[in-house]
Amino acid sequence: MARLTALLLGLITAALAEEVSAKDMPAALWDTLNEIWLALSVVIYLIVAVPSLIFMIKYRYKRGEREMGDQEHEGHWGLEALWTIVPLIVVIYLATHGFAIFKEMRTPPKDALEIKVTAFMWGWEFEYPNGKKVYAFFKQDKDAVKGYRAQEFEKPLLPVGRPIKVNLTSKDVIHAFYLRPAKVVQDAVPGRNTYLWFQVNEAGEYWVFCREYCGTWHSRMFAKIKFVPETEFNNWLGGKTALKKTDEGGAL
Amino acid sequence: MREAIHIEKPWFSASLKEWIFTTDHKKIGIMYGITSLVFFIVGGIMALGMRVELFNPGTQHVSPDTYNYFLTVHGALMLLWWAIGIWGAFANFLIPLMIGARDVAFPRLNALGYWTFFAASVIALITLIPGNQIMHMWTGYPPYSANPNSGLTALFVFIWHLTGAASIMGAINFLTTVVRMRAPGIGFFNMNLFLHGVSSMNLIQLLGIPSIAGAVTMLFLDTYVGTNFFNPAKGGDPILYQNLFWFYSHPAVYVMVLPAFGVISEIVSTFARKPIFGYKSMVVAIWAIALVGFMVWTHHMFVSGIPDWVKILMSYTTVLIGVPTGIKIFNWVGTLYRGAVVYKTPMLYALGAILMFLIGGLTGIPLGLPAFDIAVHDSYFVVGHFHYVLGMAVTLAAFGGFFYWWPKVTGRMYSEALGKLSFWTIIVGSNVLYFPQLIVGLSGMPRRYYDYPVIGEWITLHQIQTVGAFVLAFGILLGIIALIKGTLSGEKAPANPWMSNSLEWRLPSPPPPHNFDEPPKVEKDYCPHGYCKF
Repeated sequence: MARLTALLLGLITAALAEEVSAKDMPAALWDTLNEIWLALSVVIYLIVAVPSLIFMIKYRYKRGEREMGDQEHEGHWGLEALWTIVPLIVVIYLATHGFAIFKEMRTPPKDALEIKVTAFMWGWEFEYPNGKKVYAFFKQDKDAVKGYRAQEFEKPLLPVGRPIKVNLTSKDVIHAFYLRPAKVVQDAVPGRNTYLWFQVNEAGEYWVFCREYCGTWHSRMFAKIKFVPETEFNNWLGGKTALKKTDEGGAL
Repeated sequence: MREAIHIEKPWFSASLKEWIFTTDHKKIGIMYGITSLVFFIVGGIMALGMRVELFNPGTQHVSPDTYNYFLTVHGALMLLWWAIGIWGAFANFLIPLMIGARDVAFPRLNALGYWTFFAASVIALITLIPGNQIMHMWTGYPPYSANPNSGLTALFVFIWHLTGAASIMGAINFLTTVVRMRAPGIGFFNMNLFLHGVSSMNLIQLLGIPSIAGAVTMLFLDTYVGTNFFNPAKGGDPILYQNLFWFYSHPAVYVMVLPAFGVISEIVSTFARKPIFGYKSMVVAIWAIALVGFMVWTHHMFVSGIPDWVKILMSYTTVLIGVPTGIKIFNWVGTLYRGAVVYKTPMLYALGAILMFLIGGLTGIPLGLPAFDIAVHDSYFVVGHFHYVLGMAVTLAAFGGFFYWWPKVTGRMYSEALGKLSFWTIIVGSNVLYFPQLIVGLSGMPRRYYDYPVIGEWITLHQIQTVGAFVLAFGILLGIIALIKGTLSGEKAPANPWMSNSLEWRLPSPPPPHNFDEPPKVEKDYCPHGYCKF
């Protein structure tokens, strides 16, 4: 039995590990927890709902036959202890597993590329290790009502397949940085430094949203980060592409 | 009995002057109820406005400032006026009836409490006037709330002060009443679970409100006097506000939900015609939730930059709340076993509340895990979660309570067919509205967004929600019509239409002004939950 359990556990961890290496971080870790939670929730829901429905039908009022319930049936210590202890074990397991995963989520790998992101009303300043700055904010002109249009400045670029640590702060009010495929949020608080890390493995453009309410245009406080192969990223970072436009952006 | 004491008219047919100067707990309860319901409808209309705007991406009908105002006021009204205020109505009307008292302990304080609440209502209405609007959400986080663009922060602060003062007055009053004025034979372990619900609720109010009052007072000073409690540029800390705010506002969730648990317990045992299953563990669970509820507040701040060890500590306490909550749910299911379940409108509402609350609870557990919360914090998943708890469990319990005690309050039966129809409309509408919120949240949609980018499935999910919102609104309307129709043209209600054993059903419907002619005597083994024994 023990050997079988060990084998099963081994298989599960192997399957999970394989998945993790291919997926974005920390989204992959989050997905694991999400699957566990979802499975548990469905089971718990059924454990409650199925007996409820059965009792609702079986013990419904019938004139002349069942007009009142069993007045002596007032409790059962064994059952009550059971549904105290089992949920207790389940939630402690969840919190502990969550703890282990959270630790991993909050520990950036040592080779992570560090960038600095400063949030402001309503946009983002990306500062790279060599001092290069890129701004991203929405176009607030007379057509602003129409939807999500970015300024035509250069987009912030980041390398794919490499862990990136973002040091966050804010210039004015509280904002929160959320990168959609990485499934990670962290508040940007004025006067404080916070951080998060992520790794995206597929090239493309991804949404960054503000996740903490910050005023009129909170909903339009977005950026689109372009993830490119590392060599392309290095060329871009070293080159002088569109620096002038970026400065204009800063002046706005 | 009414003939014997020469009262021809029911107690509520009083003149306007009598209503305004009344210290009668039943009249004050009714006034709380009407005020709460009116603001529930106003908050609901604002929600419909937001849902219409979100039907399509881009700007259609309202400006972002209007939308943010709607959202701020929707949150404040639904939480402070509806989810908390409505229990002021139930508590006022029912506590003396359930413990066999003629009134509450401090009737004049009770009237002052209501009129303070009324003053807060007036301020809430003042924010409707353009130029007075508040747009920093019901949480009012600084530094944004100290920013002039966010609207009149003073009104926000005064709303908190006034509703808080009203709640403290109510809390002192209700706790004293329950502790000191019970009829002989009604003790801690054989009083109504609703009384445990409101007592624990009021203890939380008493302990928690000073914290929020301090937070908003500091916010007021920061905004208008130039202090720097929350101003990081001058050494203040905006996170301090969040700590003080949630130290009350998380337990406030239990302020909203514990009385709802009480109402569900009353209804389920009455209509299963059977004592509640595991009464003692229900009592322990209620008080355990109230106690542990004070130790979980930082789960609202898992991504705000607090130390990681605090998050882990509070994640354990947060998921621990699931245990007593689970006990309650299992006990309700146990109550159905070997019962004789009568399906009247209140029972449908109570059963619906249990099954929907379970979804709210199960989606709440992962939010207590920082590793899960890191992806869905401030997303629509959170919105869906608390709407299952507050928009469904609390609202269904409150409507269940309306239908359940309506005969006692008005002396008339409500319309059963309309009542049942309202339940099914509400349950369908709510699920169509709230379930997609969970899905769109897991897909990353941030909350408090007036607009969203063109991401295929988001549009569909928002459109489904809008349809659900209108179905829900129609259901609420049907429910209110069923109640009003009952009052105007319903059959005369007997004293105990549901054959409950609880004390309030031993009085005529509606009860005489002074409730009991003489202190009631209950049987030796009095148990308020179960089939009528008197």
